[in-house]
Amino acid sequence: MKNDRQEGGLWCHEVLADLADYVDGELDDARRAQVEAHVAACDNCARFGGAYGEMVASVSRAAPDVPDQVADRLRRALDEQLG
Amino acid sequence: MSGEGQELTDETLLERVAARDRHAFDVLVARHQASLFRFVRGLCRSEADAEDSLQETFVTLWRRGTRDDAAPIEHARGYLFQVARHAAFRRGRRRAAEPATFEGERTLAQLGAEAGWGQAEVNPERYAQYRESADALARALARLREDEREVLVLRDVEGLSGDETAEALGLSRAAMKSRLHRARLRLMAELREVAP
Repeated sequence: MKNDRQEGGLWCHEVLADLADYVDGELDDARRAQVEAHVAACDNCARFGGAYGEMVASVSRAAPDVPDQVADRLRRALDEQLG
Repeated sequence: MSGEGQELTDETLLERVAARDRHAFDVLVARHQASLFRFVRGLCRSEADAEDSLQETFVTLWRRGTRDDAAPIEHARGYLFQVARHAAFRRGRRRAAEPATFEGERTLAQLGAEAGWGQAEVNPERYAQYRESADALARALARLREDEREVLVLRDVEGLSGDETAEALGLSRAAMKSRLHRARLRLMAELREVAP
């Protein structure tokens, strides 16, 4: 990114690298605080990080329904094969 | 499915399966069949292959789970998705998505730039709208490479834990996390294409 800058002790590219762990709650407390300090001072990372988090939260909506017939056929097949 | 056993954990149900408790097995089937079917449907060329893969997965679970000399299954979901993945692959994968714009591994900064990193129009409000637009997400997911799609489906769509996802894909946890992050960035980039 052209405007890569250091805030809160981290560069934007370091925040980008930590984004998944941040969203998944897998950063340790010290690193998490650094990321949050950076984001508080950096509009670009605040916008992009927020968008990334929203997208991850939205993806679970992409699960389509499973037709009832699939479950019926599975039950019959398992009864036949396993008794 | 109604009746006893709904409240039991997968681990407890597997202990009962080891004692050849068919009802406990049926509870596991009812609990996991939808997410497993969605997963294999994304890997297989046809719905029939996906259904066959689903059946094979549960038959394998029963046979392994009731074998006296088999090691215990640690993560039921990780194991089930791993078996389902192999069953689907044996039947032949669906045609892979076209290669991404250029071959080779791109740096995170490149992937970020394609996803809109550093660009003013990318903001949380824009992405919040996809909570109500499953269609756009499904179209964007379909444009990903298979390895990108499967890690996203397991972790973010089906909600497997990091350990379960890594087990299902036969990856170390670190490799799974790296692939997941890259896949999410690719999905953001594809969303900009399908729903600008």
